[in-house]
Order: sequence, then C-alpha cells, then structure tokens
Amino acid sequence: MVDTTLARIIVEVVSAIICFILVRFMIKPYWLTRESRYLGLPLGFGFLGASYVLSGLAFSQPYYSLTVLSWLQLLVRTFAFVFLATTYYFSKKPSKSTRLLWDTTLSLLAVALFTLILLLFNASQSSLENYDNAQVYIRVFNVFCLFYVAIHTLRSHIRKPDPATIWIPLGFILLGISQYSLLFFYIDRSLAAFTGALVIRLMALAVFLSVSYRTFYGPEKKMDT
Amino acid sequence: MKRIPRRDKLKIYGDLLSALSSGAENEKIVLTRVQVQVNVPFDRLKSYVSELKDLGLVQDETSPRLTEKGEQFLREYRKVLEFMIRMGLTY
Repeated sequence: MVDTTLARIIVEVVSAIICFILVRFMIKPYWLTRESRYLGLPLGFGFLGASYVLSGLAFSQPYYSLTVLSWLQLLVRTFAFVFLATTYYFSKKPSKSTRLLWDTTLSLLAVALFTLILLLFNASQSSLENYDNAQVYIRVFNVFCLFYVAIHTLRSHIRKPDPATIWIPLGFILLGISQYSLLFFYIDRSLAAFTGALVIRLMALAVFLSVSYRTFYGPEKKMDT
Repeated sequence: MKRIPRRDKLKIYGDLLSALSSGAENEKIVLTRVQVQVNVPFDRLKSYVSELKDLGLVQDETSPRLTEKGEQFLREYRKVLEFMIRMGLTY
C-alpha cells in the first residue's frame, strides 16, 4: 500500500515537472507578442502543474480524502482546464472586442479562483466531506473542457492538414481520457482505471513536451509568409 | 467574398523581415519588390522599415538587410508561429 502511495507521489512530481517545463515553452508566444490572449496556455499548464504538486502533497497526508489539499488540487486543476478551454475559445476571433472580453474573462477567472480558495480555507469540516460526491461532477466538467479543446485543435488540423499538427489534439484527447478514467476509479475503485489514468496522463504530457521541444529545438522549417 | 483578416504590427514585421531575408546574399534589395511580397502601401512600408532600423533589426533604409539581431528575431518569430500552428491556435 505504501508502495502505491509512493508511486502516485512520484507520478505527481514527474507530471508537475513536465508541466513547468511546458510553461517555459508556452510563455514564448506571450513574450514575443505581449498579447494577453496567449497567457491562457502558460496559465493553464502552470495551474495544472500546481495541481499535481498539491495532489502529491495531499497523497502524503494520512487522511487524503478529507484534507483541504485534495479540494485545493481539484479546484486548481479545474481552473487549469478552464483556462485552456477559454484560450482556445477566444483564439478563434482575434478582434478588438474579443480581446477586451478575453481580458475580462481572464481577470474574472483569476478572481473566482482566489475567492474559491479563500472560501475553501474558511469552510467547515462537514462541507469538506462532500469531496467524494463533488469531485465526480467536477471531473465530468473537466472532461467536457478537455474534449472542447481537443475538438478545437482537431478542427484546426483538419482545416490545414499537417502531420505535425495532429499530436496536440491527441495530447488533449489523452488528457481527457485520463480524467474520464479517474472518474471510473472514483465510482467503482477499479485499480486498472486508476493506473490507466496515471499512465495516460504521463503519455499526454509527453506528447506536449515532445511537440514543444521539437518546435523550438528541432530543425528549422521553412515558413510560408 | 471571404474577408481577409487584418494583420497586426508584429505579423507585418514578421512578413517584412521574412521578405527581406529571402533574397540572395549579394542581391540588391528592391523595396517595390518587397512591397508586393508584404502587401502594404509603399509609404507605410518605408515607415515600417524605418521602425525596424530604429529597433536595430535592419541595417539601412534604402536597401535594408537584416542585422544579426534581426536574423535572431526572425528565427524566434518563425518558431513561435510554428508552435502556435502546432498548438492549434490562430495568429
């Protein structure tokens, strides 16, 4: 049992490290353009990494399911997926009004996240015990966010088919399957679903890392201007 | 008729630097040819070239060639553009 917990902590730490490396790549479009609509990706992956750190910490606690940490990691992870979904939603229409709307949405999301975190620290122990029920609904929402992003990226790939652009939709699909698999684990406590979720998550993050690395450090591709 | 999306300044700078870097090493850069490639009015092209010179990205305004900084910026710009395409984001 101790080994399972240790394995889970290791997976969480590795996932967090990959996410923070991804943030370094994902912040580059923002550094170059200084456009706030490109903040969604680094924020999304940054929060995802933070949620894995919190998850690892929560697993090292004795009463995992009842701690504030488990709520916190669920909340931060959900916001990570919401940041990613809104980034893709607003990327479709880069006009002045949508840029303003994106800035407002980004600010509102940040305020909502910090308000919820404050509420969490002031919540009573009895309300925290609803975690097992609440996480099922929240994870269903996470799956919807991830499949929205997957469909969006898949449509971009279909519009301009290129072998290099198929990997990102695949990564988001894998991340969605990982969340879906975790849902099964929390419903029927299946160990296969749990292990599968962790393995698929690592595969998804490896896909993102590989695409990012190959783009910035791979051979230069002649671009059409 | 399909509407052509407006380019922002960074995209125009990127297109302009790409057009300036596309010529051969000893070939003289003709601004009117660059104007056709970048698709901007000539007076605006001249002001963009002047801005790029102020930023240290091109050497001179009459027959502009990319500086080391300009080459580096263009490489980074292409990589970021490629990354955004791969991520399924439009720019």
